[in-house]
Amino acid sequence: MHPLSIVFLIIGVPAAVLLLYVFVRGSGGLRRYVITRIGLTIPMIFILASLVFLVLRIIPGDPVTSSLGPKGSPELKARLRAELGLEDPLIVQYGRFLGDVVTLDFGRSLVGGQRRIVDEMGERFPATLELVIPGTILALGIGLLFGTYAAAHRRRAPDYALRMYGVVIYSMPIFWLGLLFQLVFAVKLGWFPVAGRIDAVIGTTVERTTNMLLVDTLISGNWAAFRSVLRHLVLPAVTLGLILSGVFLRLTRINVIETLQQDYVTAARARGIRERVVVYRHALKNAMIPVITLIGLQVAILLAGAVLTETVFAWPGMGRYLVERISVRDYTAVQSVITMFALFVALISLFVDILYSLLDPRVRY
Amino acid sequence: MTEAPPEVPVWRTDLERIGLVRRILRARRWYRADWWFVAISSVLVAGFVVLALVPGVFAPHDPREQVGPRLLAPGEAPELEALVVPAGSGVNELADLVSEERIKVGVVQGTPSSEAVRDAAARVTERLRADGGDERLRIRVVRHETLDEALRGLEAGETVAVVGSSSELARVLDDHPGLVMVGPVDGEGAVAGRGFPLGTNQLGQDVLSRLIWGTRVAFLIGFASALLSLAAGLPLGLIAGYVGGKTDRVMSLVMDSLYAFPGLILAIAITAVLGPSIFNVIVAIAVVYVPTYYRIVRGQALSVKEELYVEAARSLGATNRDILRRYVYPNVIPSVAIIFSVNVADAILTGAGLSFLGLGLPPDTPDWGIDLARGQENIQNAWWLITFPGLAVMSVVLAFTMMGEGLMEIFNPKLRDR
Repeated sequence: MHPLSIVFLIIGVPAAVLLLYVFVRGSGGLRRYVITRIGLTIPMIFILASLVFLVLRIIPGDPVTSSLGPKGSPELKARLRAELGLEDPLIVQYGRFLGDVVTLDFGRSLVGGQRRIVDEMGERFPATLELVIPGTILALGIGLLFGTYAAAHRRRAPDYALRMYGVVIYSMPIFWLGLLFQLVFAVKLGWFPVAGRIDAVIGTTVERTTNMLLVDTLISGNWAAFRSVLRHLVLPAVTLGLILSGVFLRLTRINVIETLQQDYVTAARARGIRERVVVYRHALKNAMIPVITLIGLQVAILLAGAVLTETVFAWPGMGRYLVERISVRDYTAVQSVITMFALFVALISLFVDILYSLLDPRVRY
Repeated sequence: MTEAPPEVPVWRTDLERIGLVRRILRARRWYRADWWFVAISSVLVAGFVVLALVPGVFAPHDPREQVGPRLLAPGEAPELEALVVPAGSGVNELADLVSEERIKVGVVQGTPSSEAVRDAAARVTERLRADGGDERLRIRVVRHETLDEALRGLEAGETVAVVGSSSELARVLDDHPGLVMVGPVDGEGAVAGRGFPLGTNQLGQDVLSRLIWGTRVAFLIGFASALLSLAAGLPLGLIAGYVGGKTDRVMSLVMDSLYAFPGLILAIAITAVLGPSIFNVIVAIAVVYVPTYYRIVRGQALSVKEELYVEAARSLGATNRDILRRYVYPNVIPSVAIIFSVNVADAILTGAGLSFLGLGLPPDTPDWGIDLARGQENIQNAWWLITFPGLAVMSVVLAFTMMGEGLMEIFNPKLRDR
């Protein structure tokens, strides 16, 4: 199975379960909402894909000349241009590009071995997921826990300290935080490796099926490799998680403060339920719903952060692939990677919105 | 709602009538919004603006020139070959030692000192020749085992002077009260002898100077791109919110798609296409933040449109342009001011990210992102190269974010804690 299809399965299976649930058990209102939401995603993907195409086609130079360099003879250039379909009218190219997006086949890269771009992304995308998923979990954990804590201690020292943390972490360039971690924990203390995804020697022993190395090593029971992957993952994942945690912390805090003023919380307190139970069980549960929606909006920040984090830690994911391809002026690959990001963002926000509509009955059309 | 203090409705209505400055001053008394938050961040921002406007006044060196040795740690004085003579001998530099006979100069064996003395002597002789004299500085180098031995030799009169590394001399010279260090053997080294407060990078450029000049690039990118997105987002949002209907739906769909897309990645794509220049970076970042203004302005315009006083104005025959200009526009401005402040911060962050990735700016630009990327190459041995540019980005962004937060508290007391 192609690794890229595994990536889509990871998102697709829960999404399918969700949809099945909506259509079997959901009310008419919920069903209408979900259908409308899916209907809105298709033009969104279309607009983003068109935007990517438009931006990359107004290039003043021509991709073939810049990728072949001065060595390319006119005949070679002409042949490559014809092969890539760059001679066709723009509208034909546009149609073909949209076809590529629908079939998820992006052709071959312009430079360096001319591998199929889908194959290259099949190696890179799982790496990015492997970084992004633990990062998000960490950010959610910190945000929910400390956001609630700050709300419970409103206008007291912990609240001010945590709000300050939120503002400072928001102002910090993510790549700088990564560099500082690298400097302190990798270079000075030597606790973690400076960069990379796995030790090169151990890496050869790993059987790659999903290309998410944590999963691969777990399946094959290769513990030495598993430990190596884990050690490499700590610094980049913590970097990404900490930067995101500020936003989650802020939102959790506001929502818990709001729920703490609700009548049912007062009622719970009046019944003599302990304050900690009131805050963490009653208030947090309801405050969590808007925070979950925020994950959908944070995907954008998450991916942008991933590009920078991957660059700092030489993590061979999609972000680094994008930067690499730009530096060799491989515009077919650049276009495909950005389209892939757009697809990913659109699907995740669709998924989160449907989840939200299930959790919060007020969201209906 | 629990018991509300009776004066609340009064200040809320009063708030609509007073100007910005009085609002900031009254905010604390009326609803405990802290003006000092705005004050501190304004001072910070003003300070950075001054740096950005006249970096040349504050920067000690040219940010692009090699002004010292490579990778010199902060505050550390560069290694110099210093000249030591008996106190009160009247000798201030090597040229003062010119005489008929060969003079003896003590050095420590195996150090660069002896070579430095020969070079310096050759230069002095050359200078004397150029002035038309026929004098020569002839030196006989006397090698010693240790610096202490060399200094004792000088005290005993075996040599006329001693040349050694300045940092080591500073350590041992206290034990030899009769001797003084008169300066570097090479006069040109004297300028650099004071060291650099934030060290130098791998090209021998002064980190502090690059930091100060980097303020200008960051502010240019931040302000210019924020203004550009404001100029596009404000009218688009007004039109969409006020006209409504199909126009609004189509525009909102495009803007929402753009808003959902990772800004940095879009900016990467645009700069990659446009090529490296500061203007292209500004355009790329501006495109990314247009939807932010659009969404806020549209929402505001939408709600103001429904207000009773707008309805009244319309029934009195006010044209669309009048309503936009007199009612919608003024209501939008406070939110736009807040967004602008946060937007500048975001733009500076994105700009730094772009140049860290090696995109957008020409490589010799004194820019924090570029400095950080170069610093990473030397992360093993030069902590100061990544510490200070990062701190600079963070403090500028922090100042603008704090200003936005403070303004938000003052303009939207209902939204405080958000």
